[in-house]
Amino acid sequence: MRQGKRVGHSGTTILLITVCNFLISGNKILSGVLKPKTFPATKKLILCSLLFVLHSLTAFSEPVLRWGGDPSGGAPYVYSDPANPQSYTGFDYEFAEALAREMKMKAEFVPTDWESIVASLQRKEFDVIIDGFEPTEDRAREVLFSKPYYLFRLQLTVKRTDKLITTLDDCKKHQKTVGTLVNCAASRLLEQGGYKVKAYQDPVGAYQDLALGRVDAVLMDVAGEMFYARQNPELKAAGTPFQTGAYIVGIRKADTLLLAKVNTAIETLVNNGTVERIFRKWQLWDEEQVKLRTVKEPAFEMTNTKLNWSEGLIKLLKAASVTVLLAFGAMIIAVILGIPLALGQSNGGPLTRAACTVYIEFFRGTPVLVQLLFLYFGLPVIGITLPGWLTAIVGLGLNYAAYESQVYRTAFQAIPERQWQVAYSLGMRPLVAFRRIIFPQAFRIALPPMTNDFVALFKDTSTAFAIAVWELATAYRELANATQSYLGIGLVVCCYYLAMSLPLAHYARKLEQKLHRKSTGILSSGTDK
Amino acid sequence: MISIKGLTKTVQNTTLLSNINLELEPGRILGIIGPSGNGKTTLLLSLCGLLPFDKGEITVGDQCIRAEESGANSETLWAFRKKSGIVFQHLHLFPHLTVLGNITEAPVQVNRKNRAEAEDEAKVLLQKLGITQHMNKYPEELSGGEQQRLAILRALAMNPEVLLLDEPTSALDPIRSGDVRNLLREFAATGHTVVIVSHSLRFLRGIADYMAFMGKSELIEMNTTENLLNNPQDDRTKEFLHHSELN
Repeated sequence: MRQGKRVGHSGTTILLITVCNFLISGNKILSGVLKPKTFPATKKLILCSLLFVLHSLTAFSEPVLRWGGDPSGGAPYVYSDPANPQSYTGFDYEFAEALAREMKMKAEFVPTDWESIVASLQRKEFDVIIDGFEPTEDRAREVLFSKPYYLFRLQLTVKRTDKLITTLDDCKKHQKTVGTLVNCAASRLLEQGGYKVKAYQDPVGAYQDLALGRVDAVLMDVAGEMFYARQNPELKAAGTPFQTGAYIVGIRKADTLLLAKVNTAIETLVNNGTVERIFRKWQLWDEEQVKLRTVKEPAFEMTNTKLNWSEGLIKLLKAASVTVLLAFGAMIIAVILGIPLALGQSNGGPLTRAACTVYIEFFRGTPVLVQLLFLYFGLPVIGITLPGWLTAIVGLGLNYAAYESQVYRTAFQAIPERQWQVAYSLGMRPLVAFRRIIFPQAFRIALPPMTNDFVALFKDTSTAFAIAVWELATAYRELANATQSYLGIGLVVCCYYLAMSLPLAHYARKLEQKLHRKSTGILSSGTDK
Repeated sequence: MISIKGLTKTVQNTTLLSNINLELEPGRILGIIGPSGNGKTTLLLSLCGLLPFDKGEITVGDQCIRAEESGANSETLWAFRKKSGIVFQHLHLFPHLTVLGNITEAPVQVNRKNRAEAEDEAKVLLQKLGITQHMNKYPEELSGGEQQRLAILRALAMNPEVLLLDEPTSALDPIRSGDVRNLLREFAATGHTVVIVSHSLRFLRGIADYMAFMGKSELIEMNTTENLLNNPQDDRTKEFLHHSELN
């Protein structure tokens, strides 16, 4: 809640009134003295109405309750209204509106990222978390919990054709991978239980991958399951909902006053049936919710994932090896694919040239993150389903091929035309001339920028988190969010990245020096007449 | 042997070579003189099959190439290219290969020669020009004169019938120029033909059997070296020689 906001706005308004009044009266004086004609009435009208609008916008504003939630794939919690994409909808959205109204405040939604939602609360980007937020032991150290406003249960979902899995235990018994949302009660339950877990940024991705067979089951809150899985004819519920948990409002530790207000408001909303009305509307009201009236303290059975440093380091090391795999795989694709692209763009016919240019500009001109999402979720539409790690290698490879092609092109252009001519005059055919004479020289020019690109690619592998590839940056987010140890784990992760990129830069420099010793520059870059 | 008939080359309405006719028997050295930008280098490029031309035909040894074959990537063109070797003004040695590598690369890659055999042949050539001790160095480590001799050896290693040199004097090291002159003479004496484009009348006088003067895209006159220098027929030749002698 920012009381200061109102004061600030009122101050601005007063200032504006003064300025506008001065302008109007000043103009009257001026027009009276200097011009025989009166000041145009329309201008006065415009200034007055402008004043009125500004005044009404600010002067009557209520205190604001800023609440944070993740609208990306956040249905049915809070998400962009498909019918009206300018605004948001969802049961949390409606609950937040009702809560603020009850508190005589104005709800202001602050879209944020789910995974780091607690960190954002601490940074005061908003005042409360309302986003299907569950009380957990680790969060209890950072956040105050309100009374629950909804009691959820977990639902396991499998493919309709699946005959093997009916309970969570089956997943463990058959070594099946279970997908879930990052940093939620279900993910903690799975991690605690030692399941093979794949954590997603949003429920859409998880269920989509289940349908595509990239994971074997998905465990999620019934709310998410209702919205995303139940209508999907390819999926079915495995067993019945289990393990009750609560959605509560998260508040900063220091804001005890706000907590009391929120709790009073929730109590009222539960008792006067507002909560029931909202959740009935979203078809999420069940007999379990009756307990809301009696639950006093938010209970949490979901236990904390405490960081075991030696285990954490091993986990990060595994993730780092995935990063290495992604970087090398992608670079191999980029280095090879860059050659035909460069040749096509500089020596091809008009059609080849255009195609290469379109490719290069597309991949250089759009974010690699978008390209990865496109490949991961877009390609299955036309029947090509690649696992996440392969998608990342291919995606990054295709992207960097565009950059490498430009490195090659510049390198080839730096080789004088006369080198080709000498080779031809000695009877070398184009392919031999290229392989034996032009390429070795161009390679030496291309090596430093290629090294740069490779180091950049190493870091860009972190974009693979978007498609649920468990590489180093994903591991960092997961571990740090689970333990709130952003600094310590962050330093370790940086060390890992440096341990990978520094030797690379070192060997590249060695190779450059070796080539440089052989010969420097282009012997005679002068042009013959 | 070189025979050029009606050679014409035009680029965007600019005539670079206009109806050039030239005959040169084997074993002869021809020097071409003329002001800059009059098509001397263009003529050399056409002679070694590196520049497509519009009209006429060129015969080098037993290989003839007509205008229509000069642009396409034809087998005739590749056969024609093998007949002559060229040494550019700026040499354009292969910077990534050693002295030995520069000489043996084409014989090994094009003629499929055994590398050891090619290297033995290269060593014989290197000895003639006194740069054997540099054979494992890279071109940039050589002096200007050594680089030029290397460029000549690189062309000779492919056994061309004709050797073309563009402005060799610009890199020539006066003390060693005798070696180059002897090498070219020896090459001509074995029935080969040499064409040298140069500004240095002194250098050409000492080596060329014939000299030709090129005016604006035309071959104005050609004669024995003695006759052309002492008794030029065309006014343009006279004027050019007059100015050259002043220099």
